[in-house]
Amino acid sequence: MKIEILGTGCAKCKKTKEIVEQAVVELGVDAEVVKVEDINAALDYGVMITPAVVIDGDVKIAGKVPSLDKVKEWLAK
Amino acid sequence: MAEDIKMAKMAKTAKCACEAAFVGLYACSGGSNVGQMANRIAVELTKQGKGNIMCTVGIGGNVPGIMKSTEGTDEIIAIDGCPLICARRSLELAGFTVNKHIILTELGMQKNKELDLEGSEIKEMMTKVESAFDI
Repeated sequence: MKIEILGTGCAKCKKTKEIVEQAVVELGVDAEVVKVEDINAALDYGVMITPAVVIDGDVKIAGKVPSLDKVKEWLAK
Repeated sequence: MAEDIKMAKMAKTAKCACEAAFVGLYACSGGSNVGQMANRIAVELTKQGKGNIMCTVGIGGNVPGIMKSTEGTDEIIAIDGCPLICARRSLELAGFTVNKHIILTELGMQKNKELDLEGSEIKEMMTKVESAFDI
C-alpha cells in the first residue's frame, strides 16, 4: 500500500503525516508513507487544497487533517 | 533559490488550508460572453487573494480530488454568467452548499455569443461584483 501525504510542509501537513504514520503502526499495515511537497503532483490528482491524503491513487481527504479513526477506517478497507 | 522557485509555484497552484478561511470560486466558464466573464472574474479574484479558482467541471464529473478539495473549503462562491446557473446547480447536485451566488446578467451584463472580453468590461464587472457581494 502506498500512502501519499500531499502538502507544503505546513503545520496541518505535518500533523496529517503524524496521524497517518500512527495509524499505520497501530494497525500493523504494510504501507509506504510518502510526503509529496510538489504541489503540481497534487494537481495531477485534482487536489487544489492541502493537506491531502492519497491511498493507492485514491484521494481520501483534502484541506483537512483527518482523525486517527478515519485513517484507520481507510486502511482497514 | 530552487526552494524559492518551488514555493512560488506552489502559491500559484494548490493552496494550503493553514491559511485563513479557504474560499473556493466556481465559475461556470460557459460558451458565451457571460460564461467567459465568470471565468475571468474567478481568475481576477484569485489573483487578488480573495479566493481560489477551482475546477467547476470536475464537480459535474465527480472527480475525486476535486470533490474532496471542495469538501475542504470554508466558503463556496458560485459565479454564473446567466440564469441557467450551471455552476450553482452542479455544486448543489453534488451536495454542496453555495454560500454566495453571483449571476452576471443580474448585474447588467447582456448575454451573447462573443467570447473575447474587453478590458473595460472586465473592470466594470469586477467593480460590480466586489460591490454587490462584498468580496
